[in-house]
Amino acid sequence: MTSFKAARCPNIVSPKSGEITVDYRKLVEFIPVAKREMLSDKLVDFILTSKNDEKMPSQLANTILHHWQQDVLESESGLTALLEAALLLEPEKTLGAFTELEMAHIAEQIKASAPS
Amino acid sequence: MVKFGIEFVPREPYWRIIYYTVQAERGGFSNLWVTDHFNNRNVYVTLSTAAVYTNKITFGSGVTNPYMVNPVFTAQAIATLNELAAGRVVLGIGAGDKTTLESVGMEMQKPLTAVQEAVEIFRKITSGENVVYKGEVFKTAGAKFLFKPKGKIPVYVGAQGPKMLELAGKIGDGVLINACHPKDVEYAVNCVKEGVSAAGKKFNEVDVAAYTSFSVHEDIKKANKAAVPVVSFIVAGSPPQLLERHGIEVKKAEEIKEALKANDWGRAFGGVTPEMISAFSVCGTPDMCIERIAELLKSGISQFVVGSPIGANVREAINLISEKIIPHFQKA
Repeated sequence: MTSFKAARCPNIVSPKSGEITVDYRKLVEFIPVAKREMLSDKLVDFILTSKNDEKMPSQLANTILHHWQQDVLESESGLTALLEAALLLEPEKTLGAFTELEMAHIAEQIKASAPS
Repeated sequence: MVKFGIEFVPREPYWRIIYYTVQAERGGFSNLWVTDHFNNRNVYVTLSTAAVYTNKITFGSGVTNPYMVNPVFTAQAIATLNELAAGRVVLGIGAGDKTTLESVGMEMQKPLTAVQEAVEIFRKITSGENVVYKGEVFKTAGAKFLFKPKGKIPVYVGAQGPKMLELAGKIGDGVLINACHPKDVEYAVNCVKEGVSAAGKKFNEVDVAAYTSFSVHEDIKKANKAAVPVVSFIVAGSPPQLLERHGIEVKKAEEIKEALKANDWGRAFGGVTPEMISAFSVCGTPDMCIERIAELLKSGISQFVVGSPIGANVREAINLISEKIIPHFQKA
């Protein structure tokens, strides 16, 4: 998990190891089921075409590949991993995707929790 | 029925290649080829990861060479892979790339002999033999695995020149022909056939693959744009007789070569003409690619390998190939 400032984002943050972190799983719960497939498709594209390869933690990459192998990237756990990776590699595009899919409120929540 | 293979260069991180590999396996590709150059990520680590995440695609080095790594170590890696994914592993081996070998101080000594001997040693040691071998390039004085290798592993020989193509036909279970244009592939297949008949085999016993530079997109301009960088390098590295066969001025190829040396990408890529793209890639819309592949099949190839760049967007390109191109040939 990546550290974010928490104060303005009570719905998607949780305390862990003495710091406040975004709870990606909780964030995914806010995403309507009908939009998950489209979002996961966009996130996969951002990750695969990103020039920021070096930002991908191998454990997270393996989690994504495991879900892809099982063909369950749209599941809550799959989308959680994709979202974490996409925010690490392509934060601007990822936030843009939420807006494009009419989930601007979630993009705002993420932005609010991002380090200043 | 023609098989489709896909090539990846592990300059890309493993997770990207494995994502595409799983996608390709689901989309009807039967073979995965991973290139082997010391300056990219390791071929066998990449293939091992592919083995873990897939369950039916056949895979191998595309291609390794006998100089950089001793054939017994190549055999060890391939035999171990064949434990991880029994029956899905092949060895792809060729003479290697002269420039890359020279960059690490290695000489491409007797390439035909080196490949032939390496294949002999590979086959002996992977069949569990204690190998005593006195070749011109390689010698072993009793090399034997301390584990029992699993089964016979097919050997594909990568080739471009006529003598290597003939040798490939003679000793290979498969041949990887580095060519894209029907004229070049037909010429190569004829060379392979000579080797096949010299060995007393039937042509259909050998899996002959056209290993192509490929680029597909619904928009021809995007397909071309993706192909240009790869084609520029192929043109720069092509011998004059090959260029002339396609009506390409040697002078223009020299200009591209100079620009590439100077890292002047704009000039290098700007020098690539539609004729060069046609000669050195299979490029275009899905229908255009189908037409070209159908032409190539007339020469007798049994596997078509899509290699770099595959498309402007690799994921989309694999989907296009899986949804439009492979089904076309399955129906036929």
